[in-house]
Amino acid sequence: MAGTVSARLVAWLTEAVPRGRVAAFRTVVYLFVALDLVVFTPWVRPHGDLSTDLYHPLLIGRILPLPAPTKPLVEIVFWLLLVLSLAAASGRAPRALGWTVFALYFEWMVIAMSYGKVDHDRFAFLVALAVLPTAGRARHGDPTPTQRGGWALRVTQIAVVATYFLASWAKLRYGGPGWMTGSVLARAILRRGTDLADLIAPIPFVLIAAQVGIMTFELLSPLIFVLKSRARYLAVAFFYSFHWLTIALITISFAPHQVALLSFLPLEKVRPLLWVRGKASALGLGQRAGGRTPGEPVPVPGDPAVGGPGEREHRAALQQPADWAPRPAAAPE
Amino acid sequence: MDTLSPTGRRLRVAITLLAAALLLAGTAWGSDDDFPFGPFRMYAGVNGPNEDAPDPRVDGTDTTGAVVALTERSSGLRRAEIEAHQAEYEADPALLAPVAEAYRTRNPGAPKLVEVRLVVRWHEIRSSRPTGRYRDETVATWRAP
Repeated sequence: MAGTVSARLVAWLTEAVPRGRVAAFRTVVYLFVALDLVVFTPWVRPHGDLSTDLYHPLLIGRILPLPAPTKPLVEIVFWLLLVLSLAAASGRAPRALGWTVFALYFEWMVIAMSYGKVDHDRFAFLVALAVLPTAGRARHGDPTPTQRGGWALRVTQIAVVATYFLASWAKLRYGGPGWMTGSVLARAILRRGTDLADLIAPIPFVLIAAQVGIMTFELLSPLIFVLKSRARYLAVAFFYSFHWLTIALITISFAPHQVALLSFLPLEKVRPLLWVRGKASALGLGQRAGGRTPGEPVPVPGDPAVGGPGEREHRAALQQPADWAPRPAAAPE
Repeated sequence: MDTLSPTGRRLRVAITLLAAALLLAGTAWGSDDDFPFGPFRMYAGVNGPNEDAPDPRVDGTDTTGAVVALTERSSGLRRAEIEAHQAEYEADPALLAPVAEAYRTRNPGAPKLVEVRLVVRWHEIRSSRPTGRYRDETVATWRAP
C-alpha cells in the first residue's frame, strides 16, 4: 500500500509535459532575469556605490564565502548576467548557460539582500532557475513529452505553493492568530499605499476582512494540486488577481513569483510568432514554402477555407495531451 | 517520450525532499539570514489594532539650507534597509555618515549634506485602520564635522 502511494507520488512529481512548454517557460524565465536587472529590481545595482561596511552578508554569503560587493564586482555581475540571461532565453546550451545564470543570479540576490532587508518574492523563481538546466533541450512547439521537464515545472509549482502556504505559518509564528485582526495592512498602506488604498483603508472592517481572506487562501493553497484543469486554472487566475490587487494597493509586485506561477499554465499553446505569421499570411503578405516551422498550417490553392476541416485537424495536432506520441504526418490534400 | 532513468528519478526525488526539509526547517526555526530557505515572513509582524504605525524616512540638509529627501534613488539605500538598523542609528548617529557619503557618490554635482536625520512619522491607527492623524519624531541626527 505504501509502495503504491509513494510510486504515485513519484509519478506525479515527474509527470511529463510537452517540450514546447519547457521551451516557453525557459524563454520567459531568462528574459525576466534581464528585465529584473533593469526594470523590476533596479535598486540592487546601486549597492555597489555603498561602503562595504554596510554589507552584512547572509549565512550563505559567509559560508561559501562570497566576495564583498565592490563597485567593479557589482558591475561585472550585472553585465555578465544581462548578456548571459538573454543568451539563455534562446534555449541554446541549456545546461552551461542555465547553471551560470543561476549562480550569477544567486550572487546578485545575496548582493541585494545583505544590506538589512531580505525580500520573500524570489524563492519559486530561484527554484525555476535551479531546475531549468536539468530540463534538457527543448524547442518551441515540440509536443514530445518529457519527464525531465515535467519535474522541473512540478517543483517550481511546489515552490510557488510553498511560498503561500508557509507564509501563513510565518504569520502564525510571528504574529499568532491575532494577525488577522491586527493592523498589518493598515501599516502597509500608510507606508506605501496608493490613492486607491487610501480610499479603502478607513472603511470599517475592510482591512480585517482582507487579512482573514489572505490567511485563508494561503492555508488552502496546496489544494490547487487536487484540482483538475479548469478549476486549477481558475485557482491560478485567483492567485494572479491577488497579486495585481496588491500592486494596485501597495505597489508591491512580487514579479519573480508571478513568473514562477506560469509553471502551472499550458504555455506551449502561446505561440506569438506563429500567430503573427498566421495573420501575415491571411493578409496575403507573402509565404515562402521553406520558411515555416513544423506543424504550422500553410494555405495552398484548393485548401479548405479558414475554419474548414483541414485547419481543425492541424490545430488539434498542436494541442495534444502530454501522453500523445507523434504520428507520421498526413499526406497533403 | 523522454523518460527519466531510475537514477535520474531517484536523484530528483532526493533533491526535492532535501529542499523541502530545508524550507520547512527554515519556516519553523530559521530567520531571514537563512535565505533562500528562511521563513516567508513578509508582513508577518505583530501589530495590534490600536498600535500607531511608524513610517521612517531619512532627510538631509545641504549647504544651501535645502531639505533633501534621502530616498532609494538619491542614496542607494532602500527604506527597509535603513529601518533594519534603526536602533543602531539611534544609539550612534555617526553611522548615518555613510548615507551622506552614498548621496554624494550618486549626486556628485549636488551641494554636500551638512546634516542627516532619521525621522519617524507616527500614523495614528484605531480599530486596525488609519485615522488620518500623525506626528513626526526625529530619532537620530548626524552633523558633518
